[in-house]
Amino acid sequence: MVAITMPRDDEWPLALPLAALFVVCFVAPFCVLLALSLHAGTDARAFSIAQYAKFFGDTFNLGILWSTTWLAIRATLVCVVFGYPIAWVCSRAPARWQSVLVFLVVLPILTSVVVRTFAWIVILGREGVMNDVLRALSIVDEPIPLLFTETGVIVVLAQVQMPLMVLPLLATLSRIDPNLGDASAALGAGAWRTFFRVTLPLSTPGLVAGCILVFSACATAFVTQTLIGGARLVYMPLHIYQQAIGANNWPFAAAISVVFTVAVMIVIYALNRVGGTSKAYAGDGR
Amino acid sequence: MGSDVSRRHFLAAGAGAGLYALLPAHARAQSKTLVAATFPGTWNEAHRNLLAPYFRKRTGASVTQSIQLATEQIAKLEAAKGGRPPFDVAILDEPQVYDAAKQGLIDEYPAAKSPNFKDLFPVYQDKWGPKISLQVIGIGYNPKKIKTPPTSYDDLLNPAYKGRVGLTALNSQLGMAFLAELNRIKGGNETNFEPAFKALKALLPNVGAVAANLGAYATLWQQEQVDIAPYNFNFVQTLKAKGVPVEFVVPDTGLVGWTTSLHVTKNAVEPDLAVAYIDSHLAADMQSEMEKPPYDIIPTNSKVPLTSAIMQTVAKTPADLSKIRGFDWTKINPQRTALIERFNREIKL
Repeated sequence: MVAITMPRDDEWPLALPLAALFVVCFVAPFCVLLALSLHAGTDARAFSIAQYAKFFGDTFNLGILWSTTWLAIRATLVCVVFGYPIAWVCSRAPARWQSVLVFLVVLPILTSVVVRTFAWIVILGREGVMNDVLRALSIVDEPIPLLFTETGVIVVLAQVQMPLMVLPLLATLSRIDPNLGDASAALGAGAWRTFFRVTLPLSTPGLVAGCILVFSACATAFVTQTLIGGARLVYMPLHIYQQAIGANNWPFAAAISVVFTVAVMIVIYALNRVGGTSKAYAGDGR
Repeated sequence: MGSDVSRRHFLAAGAGAGLYALLPAHARAQSKTLVAATFPGTWNEAHRNLLAPYFRKRTGASVTQSIQLATEQIAKLEAAKGGRPPFDVAILDEPQVYDAAKQGLIDEYPAAKSPNFKDLFPVYQDKWGPKISLQVIGIGYNPKKIKTPPTSYDDLLNPAYKGRVGLTALNSQLGMAFLAELNRIKGGNETNFEPAFKALKALLPNVGAVAANLGAYATLWQQEQVDIAPYNFNFVQTLKAKGVPVEFVVPDTGLVGWTTSLHVTKNAVEPDLAVAYIDSHLAADMQSEMEKPPYDIIPTNSKVPLTSAIMQTVAKTPADLSKIRGFDWTKINPQRTALIERFNREIKL
């Protein structure tokens, strides 16, 4: 559907500055990380895969990897469920309202993630806004734990990362020709049928892009995970931090980082495959 | 025209550099910036509000204070080893001093350049860097929720406090010292932490939150997320001054403490300013200010009399200070990694 124009032969040097930055600031450090992870121990410089063996030989580590992935998946699903309708409303709103709505969607990213997370601590705390409301409505007698629970982390992650879902969705949704919906209706399809057969397939690229952004942001959200989840809910970023800073075990921290990066990349690759398939599907015009 | 402007700038810059060399040292220091590490909580507040202005007045230089735990500083200095360290002044707790000295991350303190050094009690005149204070831990509790003040660490196990007890991860010295003290009370020693973990397991049903860092630990109290927990005397005093409902009690097993010290990092960018900064911290007038509420930082300068808050809770005389129990960190340090790992496994939900 969206035609990607390949750069002309004489335009590719324009990408060089970014490529250079990428090599210096990402590829090179990643190679250092990889080399470090292959050290036998904190003092031993000998080549060894001991750190990886240690990681995969221990269900504690695998459990953390899985709970981090599962956490990010759930937060992403919450973003889809709540973000899609918002994006849809935005894309269908009159131009004047659209800019207001987009501004409201973007508003959260104008403040630092630390500030947003601390605001959530005030909301979710034992004596916080949420518990006050629940008690005032007599839904609960005693304050219920919200902070330092996985549910709390998911809710906060979903709110904090929501713009990353809504913006790409909005971009694809507003590019869909409204006539297609009318055509579908004229041919006798109901609203839901039109949604599932026309709108959803056409918006898949935006949905996939949003999922990739939200998933990777949630999986690696050190600040939100540690401040809302505390030290009892150990996810990969905190695990890496504790090994590197608390325990001073850099080779192991490096190995966990590499494993984590690869795990996130696998999920992104899988999402991209889904995106690619649906793109072909939508492109066929079936 | 473009080249004209740049040439003019270049000349101006050259003249500036020439003038700069002619300025007396004091004026030249004005453009210099020292980078000093500080701890979260009471420490960064005292350092920002008292020490930084004092240092500016004394040297004319400015100081950037960066909040980091001792373990974080060790990790960063280790990473920068051989090159320029990310900060000139390190603030370390007793256990980390042994590591930092062993790994060559700090320089021996040039006492001769530091006029206030000789005023410290002899026990605090460490060759690696002067001890600036003593930190002690006991029990913090919320007097609004807990009417009978706790008297011992065993009170943390009281079933009435289910979900109301707070802990902090072992990356902070508070977490590590509490674990060591719990271990000692339950019959363990520096080489056997089994009793501590057994006690921790029994405590877990009561634990409502384990803060990943000390900043989050303070938030737990501010939000009244926890009612009772091991805590530093200073941190309690600072929070109390902010209107947070928290009180400090000395458990029947006594106070546990450790010294905190300042150090010039190896290859520091501004070694002389670093010494001036550290020496400022040792000055009698500075330590007297820091001893006042809301900081209540225990002085190490022999010319500074103890204030009432400290005398009531911690020590009646300076001699009492030396009776506060510590641990043999040289024995505990090598186990740190294993202890952190085990703690994480056993507290994980």
